[in-house]
This record gives sequence, C-alpha cells and structure tokens, in this order.
Amino acid sequence: MTATTTSSVIPTLPGRYYTDPELFAREQKDIFESMWFCVVRSADLAKPGAFKTVRVGTESVLVTRSRDGSVRAFFNVCRHRGAQLCTEESGEVKRAFQCPYHAWTYDLDGRLVAAPNLTKMADLDREQYGLVKVHVREWLGYVWVCLADEPPSFERDVQGAVAERLGAVELIDNYAVDRLAVGRRIVYDVKANWKLIVENFMECYHCATIHPELTEVLPEFADGYAAQYFVGHGAEFGEEIQGFTVDGSPGLDRIPTLSEEQDRRYYAITIRPQVFINLVPDHVILHRMFPLAVDRTIVECDWLYLPEVVASGKDIDKSVELFHRVNQQDFDACERCQPTMSSRIYRDGGVLVPSEHHIGGFHEWVVDRIG
Amino acid sequence: MIPACPLASLPRGEAIRLDVDPPIAVFHTEDGEFFAIDDTCTHQDASLADGWLEGCEVECPLHASRFDLRTGEVDAPPAKRPVRTHQVVVEDDVVYVVPSEAPPNLPPGVALKGQA
Repeated sequence: MTATTTSSVIPTLPGRYYTDPELFAREQKDIFESMWFCVVRSADLAKPGAFKTVRVGTESVLVTRSRDGSVRAFFNVCRHRGAQLCTEESGEVKRAFQCPYHAWTYDLDGRLVAAPNLTKMADLDREQYGLVKVHVREWLGYVWVCLADEPPSFERDVQGAVAERLGAVELIDNYAVDRLAVGRRIVYDVKANWKLIVENFMECYHCATIHPELTEVLPEFADGYAAQYFVGHGAEFGEEIQGFTVDGSPGLDRIPTLSEEQDRRYYAITIRPQVFINLVPDHVILHRMFPLAVDRTIVECDWLYLPEVVASGKDIDKSVELFHRVNQQDFDACERCQPTMSSRIYRDGGVLVPSEHHIGGFHEWVVDRIG
Repeated sequence: MIPACPLASLPRGEAIRLDVDPPIAVFHTEDGEFFAIDDTCTHQDASLADGWLEGCEVECPLHASRFDLRTGEVDAPPAKRPVRTHQVVVEDDVVYVVPSEAPPNLPPGVALKGQA
C-alpha cells in the first residue's frame, strides 16, 4: 500500500471569476434570475399600495401589497413601450401604478385598468397586457421572489439551506423571525464581487485577525473554524460574556421560544445566493445582498429584535455595534481583495486552508450553475 | 330610456360602461345611489367607468381630474369642462338611463359616430 499525500490546501476560483463582466452576466442570468432571491422585509410593505423596487440580476422588480393583503411582485416594465414603471426605490400608491410616459395604468394586481383610447381597442386584453408577474414567497418575515418561469423548490433551496446548517429547519422557528421587528437597518455599498462576500461570511480563519470584538464574545472563533463549518453547531459565548454586544455587556430581552441549547450561542447560515442569517439569543441579523456589478454589491443588513424591545425604545446601540463592526471589518477585507483579483499573480487563484475547505463546495456550485 | 343592466349585476362601488354614442358610465355608489354621466373624460379619451369611485365623485384613471356624479362638474385640471349627467331609473330590478339632450363635451379627437 502506498501512502498518498493529500495537500492541506485546495485551489480557489481563478481571479477572473471576480473581475470578468461576462462571467458576472452569466451569474445574473443563471443564479440571481433563476433562484429564489430575498428582496424585502414584509413589514416594509405595511399596507396595500406600499411598494419597493429592487434589483434582481439585470432586472428591476416592483414588489407591492395588493388590496387583499397579499404580496405581489412584477417586472418593473410598462407593457406598452417598455418604460420603467416605478423609478422610486420605495413609496406608496393609492390604488394604481401609472406609467409616466403614456399613462398606462395598472391596478395593484398588475391588471391593465386604464390607458388613453383603451375603450377604442376592445381587442386589447387587459390581463394579457397586465404587468408580468414574478413568483413570490414569504418566509421569516421576508419576501422572496423568483424570476424563473418555473421556480426551483423553495423548500429544497431556501429552507433546505437552513436545515443543512442547523440540522433541522424547525430549529429556526424558535427564533420567530417573522414576528421580530427591525431595530436597525444599515445599507453597505461594497466595492467587491458578491462571491468574496459569501466566502468571507463562510469562514472564520480571519476572525482572530480582523474581528477582535467578535472573537472576544465567541472565543472558539480564534481556532479559525466558523460555525458554518459544522452542522447544528452554535459557537458558544465566552464565560465572562453576558450578551452578544460589542463589549460583552448584557443584550436585550431573550427570544422566549428558544431552546436551552440555543441560549448563549451564535449560529450562522448562508442561503445561496444572497442571504446570510445570524442567530443569537436576543436578536437575529439578516443580510440581503444585491449584486449590482462584477465589482459592486449592495448589502442590506437588518437587526431584528422582539417587537416590544423595539417599541420600548431600549438602547440597542451596543448590540448593533458588534455586528456592524464585523460587517465593516469584513467588507474592508473584501474591498482589499477586489482590486488584486485581476493581478497576474492571482490568475489561477489562491488556496483554501483546511478550515476554509467547505468554501470549495461553494465554488463548485457556482461553476456548476454558470456552466 | 335605455336599459343599462339588471340591478343585480351592478353592485355598490361598481360602474358599467354603456356602449352607446357617446358612451355612458353608470355608477352605483357605496351609499346605494345610482348616477350616470358621459363615460369619456373631457380632457383625453379615457373611460370614467374605469376610474376610481369615491362617494359621489369619480376620479379619471389617467390624470386624476375628479367629476361630481351629481352635477358633472370637474374639480381641477387637466380636464376643464364638465361631463353631461343623465337620469337613472331603476324599475323591476333593471337599471335604465334617460340620456341627456344636451350636447356632450368630448375630448379632442373623439367625435360622435355620426359626425366622425
């Protein structure tokens, strides 16, 4: 029997995967416009006519709430001559969306309800020329859309990702994420490819170096193994740590439905392609990424607390500050990598150390999706 | 007197458009009253039956001028001239309209069929 030597390192993707606009265009089509994509906190569409416009791949999507209270999403394109229907990022219409070009007018269900001379065009079908619908699901208090004609299984792709990390999808129910309230939202404009952000979130080899505050709260992060390396593993708070805050001081009210095992632990989940969830006993942090260009990604991060905590006006600054700092530290690191992805030294990429090997699975997935 | 529709097919809050010349919109308000006006906005060719009914007013779905269903008067531009009003009669569970004899205020480009 011959001894085989396995290398401790495995290759990353080549540098061009982070810089080539053509590869990014394929990701837009084969990933962002094909998969379930988390776009809006449901509570941000508080009543019928409230709307948001979001970028999904190359498309602008209009997300709104209909008269019957259900969420609807449409391609944000007038069916007449293709003008962008809504140009605002968010707002509220009373009862209809009207194209500012020729006044084609659509109700909250997307049906064409009025247009100049419409009654003279009796053959024009108001459903057929209604806004084109996008598939919608609501889960964890967020609206997820899918631009594919035939959406993939939400249960497999989205809920399955949670189950894969936590061990069972039901374990996230204990956090009652849909009933929590947004205590703080911070939007980051990151000059980096979206995959650098995913890879960064998946590993903790960098934690002891760039996240001193986080590593103080979660001492086991110093060994470089992220909670995401394991199944069902929550990183335990340090002995002296009272809460998931920037200085380890007590946090906010604990989510009462947590199990004992979930107390004093931190769980992290990546839902491909663009959602990160962190679970701690008193809050949930949910990141939505909106990749805009090969080298630019908007990240919207929500800190979610019990509604009574938010309503009471309790000070959440120290709680928010911990992961806000982590975000800044991470995004700085991603922005440091982006310009050098095009270096000839990185043409064939770099390497993943053992505590990063699980990122190889993400790379294989990307390559597999875009062919 | 023109038969418009069976009473049962025009619930409160709804309107129907009669394809007469010029077309007439018949409204059944939330309060249970019936009104009929010319269907075409006096500003641009838009159907007021497709507009937004609120109380005794209908808002044009295109540019938001509001017409008073009782008088036909318009509240604000871009429409400037009133629409005609017509008498509505409900008899034996049928809605009828008695068309006005006055000349209509039609928008540019819209003419009575006989005069087209």
